[in-house]
Amino acid sequence: MIALTLTGWTLAELGPLFLAGTAAITGLYLLRMRRRQLVVPFAALWRQVTRESDTRRLWRKLRRVLSWLLQVGLLALLCFALGDPRPEVWLREPRTIAIVVDRSASMGGPAADPDADPEAPAPTRLDLAVRRARAELAGMGPVDRALVITAGPEVAVPGPLGRDAEPLRRSLEGLRPQPGEADLGRALALARSALAGQPGGEILVLTDGALDPAAADALAACATIEPAPTDMPEGTAQDPAVPCRIAAVAGPTASVAITAFAARRYPEDREHVEVLTEVHNLGDAPVDVVLDVAADGVSVGKVPLTLAPGERRTEVLRDLEAARTRLVAELSPGPGTDPAALGPVGDDRAHAIVPPLRPFRVALITEGTDLFLEAALLTLQEHIQLTGVGPANVINNPAVDEADLVVIDLGADPLPDPLPARDLVIFDPARRQDSPSPITAVKDLPRPFLTEQALGHPLLDGVVLKDVNLARGSHLATLPGDQVLLRSLGEPIAVLRRESGQDDATGARTIVAFGFDPRQTDLPLRTAFPILVANLVTYFEQSRPGFVASVPVGAARPLAVAELGLVPDGLTSVEVTGPERDGVADADLPSTRIPVDRGVFRLRAQEPGVYRISAVDGAGAGTAVLLAVNQASAPASDLHDRLADLQLPEAAAAADAPTPLPVSDGPLWTLILLALAGLIALEWATYHRRVTV
Amino acid sequence: MAWWKRSADLSPAPGPKGQVPAASSALKATLKQADAADVFDEAFLGRLELLQVIARRLFRGRQRAERKTRKVGSGLEFADHREYSPGDDIRNLDWGVLLRLGQTLVRLYEEDEDLPIRIAVDVSESMQTSGGGKLRYAQQVAAALAYVGLANLDRVGLTCHSRTIHNSLPAVRGKGRIFRVFEFLRQSPRGGATDLRSALKRLAAESVQPGLTVVLSDFYDMDGAFDGLNLLRFRKHEPVAIQILDPAEARPDPAGVRGDVRLVDCEGGEARDVTISPATLRAYAEAHERFCAALHSSCRSRGIPYFRAEIDVPFDELVLRMFRMGGLLR
Repeated sequence: MIALTLTGWTLAELGPLFLAGTAAITGLYLLRMRRRQLVVPFAALWRQVTRESDTRRLWRKLRRVLSWLLQVGLLALLCFALGDPRPEVWLREPRTIAIVVDRSASMGGPAADPDADPEAPAPTRLDLAVRRARAELAGMGPVDRALVITAGPEVAVPGPLGRDAEPLRRSLEGLRPQPGEADLGRALALARSALAGQPGGEILVLTDGALDPAAADALAACATIEPAPTDMPEGTAQDPAVPCRIAAVAGPTASVAITAFAARRYPEDREHVEVLTEVHNLGDAPVDVVLDVAADGVSVGKVPLTLAPGERRTEVLRDLEAARTRLVAELSPGPGTDPAALGPVGDDRAHAIVPPLRPFRVALITEGTDLFLEAALLTLQEHIQLTGVGPANVINNPAVDEADLVVIDLGADPLPDPLPARDLVIFDPARRQDSPSPITAVKDLPRPFLTEQALGHPLLDGVVLKDVNLARGSHLATLPGDQVLLRSLGEPIAVLRRESGQDDATGARTIVAFGFDPRQTDLPLRTAFPILVANLVTYFEQSRPGFVASVPVGAARPLAVAELGLVPDGLTSVEVTGPERDGVADADLPSTRIPVDRGVFRLRAQEPGVYRISAVDGAGAGTAVLLAVNQASAPASDLHDRLADLQLPEAAAAADAPTPLPVSDGPLWTLILLALAGLIALEWATYHRRVTV
Repeated sequence: MAWWKRSADLSPAPGPKGQVPAASSALKATLKQADAADVFDEAFLGRLELLQVIARRLFRGRQRAERKTRKVGSGLEFADHREYSPGDDIRNLDWGVLLRLGQTLVRLYEEDEDLPIRIAVDVSESMQTSGGGKLRYAQQVAAALAYVGLANLDRVGLTCHSRTIHNSLPAVRGKGRIFRVFEFLRQSPRGGATDLRSALKRLAAESVQPGLTVVLSDFYDMDGAFDGLNLLRFRKHEPVAIQILDPAEARPDPAGVRGDVRLVDCEGGEARDVTISPATLRAYAEAHERFCAALHSSCRSRGIPYFRAEIDVPFDELVLRMFRMGGLLR
């Protein structure tokens, strides 16, 4: 209902005018309704041919009343025009509204729309939000202004601030949900910034309430801000708060998502991989789904799952051939299950890349007397590349500089100074006083015993060190953050340290120091020794860069090129191509060149899929790696409305959209007069055609 | 000399000796002062004289007052027999019949005498609608017939009637009496309802001598239109029916009056609220035509001459048509 205000004649003036006019019209109408008298010379003959039925008589009476009503209606319109009516939205203070549309993945979920056509495709929550945004734009007054902000993983302003609603409406066309969660914090900050200094500022958030904690906090903070008092003195430095209103779009909450999908090679069998898939039922009802995992388009596993409400199920496919590198996991409804029970489709499909097989380079710095250690390393030759280096050849040795792991076992000889800037395993690092080892000794330990070991640490997995005899050892000094692997009567004798790499010369690295010499112990004679050596290699191999199987979608996510398997030396930019699509050539895929700063670039992946990261320059120019991008986010797939949990004030709930006005601007009385003229013409035509006489 | 030229203009058919008849000259002189809006204006008189000339040519060679009455009397032409009754002239006894059949029958003869012409003009309200066009036309036709009759030395009388006899002009003879005719038609009272039965019954009763009776009326009398004529015939009159019609009334324009109207008869009576549509107008025109056709058929079946005169036809054309068709003058 459009509220109109009379700005011309008042009702007190128009009322008597209307009444007087109605009386005059009624009088004139009664006069007009007197039948014209037709004098004829032969009435008897006329009587033979003129008959009238009751129906015609009734219709004539009715149309007389209609004619009178038409006349009174004309007068009413005239009085209305004299009142110069104007919608209240034209008279109130100008309003500036920032419409923030939630574009998160949950907005692609089904919506509860009672007005929806059952034959038409079910509308999504984003459809309802867009409809509401259109209604808001349609209800704008001539002096109102608005802008449209979309809040997905990235925040965008498709409709800049303006008074013309048409470009804003166009900006809402083709709006689609984005995988991931809505960055409402940035969107609301942007809205507040855009509305700063604008009259009648107001933020309208169109969301389904399925928000992650950060977005929920931002929304709660925005909605609970009290509007600034209207009598605030001018020149007050404090920015007036912008009221925040929330219009929620609701819908069914059934959703099943793949929240994790990854693949890794077996350390001991690198030709095979195991695939981990995590499926989460985020709905409120049990659901039957089928998980299908395909490698390079070939199905390698199909698992039917029955998930209880809220259940998170992890499925591991083991011993898959590593020859196929692209893995796709897809959820489909089980037999008899409504496809709508799976919720948005964006989280029903995930991608993973099998890590490329690259030899693990190990440099063993030894004087050649510890055959047990060399033998233990050589047994791992299948998947490591072992290089022996003499103590004199350490400096500027490519085998050492490019090694993934450097094992130093020099016995009584001095350690190379400086130590290689790589991950290190050092045996007996503090034997000499002039040792360059960052892990130093507190004191020597004569005939120590390995009395305590860090159970559960991957380095000591399966290693039994009971009754190991040591001739001598060192009590190693520890720093906060160090992990003590072995102790001798409470004193650390084996330590793992992670250096953050603040020193540019070394970079980040991990050092494992054993405070004893393998030559002075019977440990190499035990079964535990080769296991320990294998654990060392596996540990460093799994923690080395290049094991990134997939990343979540999102905006500007920092990634280290080394973690993707690219050579960071001299690399200044990478080219990101994708995501790959069936039937689309690589050359036709969208491609972006992104600068690399200190081995890190910011990946902006808006769609799930497989991306190709190519090194543009540097030592590894031309090399390319694949990267899988998935939504893989339970909060993003959760369709439950969290607004009730925020305990927002009632004032934060947005009222219904204003009624759209038939005209956007201009004096309304001119239109009324036009309608008046049209009615007069109609009445004139009907009267002279004897329709209303 | 202006009047001379005018009289020449008004006499397209001069007399046998090239002289304008005295009555015509006097007539024109009188009409100099006549009202332009007068029914009998100068143009009318000119056409009247033309009519008279044409009528004279049509009836040339006939004797004046040679009409035969149906009265059986002392004429020469055998008419009928009847039983002898005491007091009858024995000279009229049909001796042949007596000898052959033994019956005493008296021979009857048609009596030759001049028949009077009575022109009955309907002056009721129905004749005065639409500006009185029908009445004016009827007056002109009546005057024309009277003039021709007077010119033929017939005795011509006029009667104006509606439901009753308003006024009567006794039969006069001679062309010079035409002014009395004009004056009578002008001064006669008008109005009243149409009731031909009672009016013509009264006319027949008042007529001393039956004769040719020309009835000029619209005959808008649903019940008595023909009965009045038939009554005249029963009273030994020779009625002639001239129905004066206004085409606008007989066939109303479909694009004219429409909608809800209150029909009022010009001669009084109950008003009637009706809705007039083009279909109604068409139906009325058809009903009017059927009414006229029924009147014509009735007249023809009784040997009564019937003429339909629509007022958009010049009256002299009508009179000439009547002369050519015969029945009015013998």
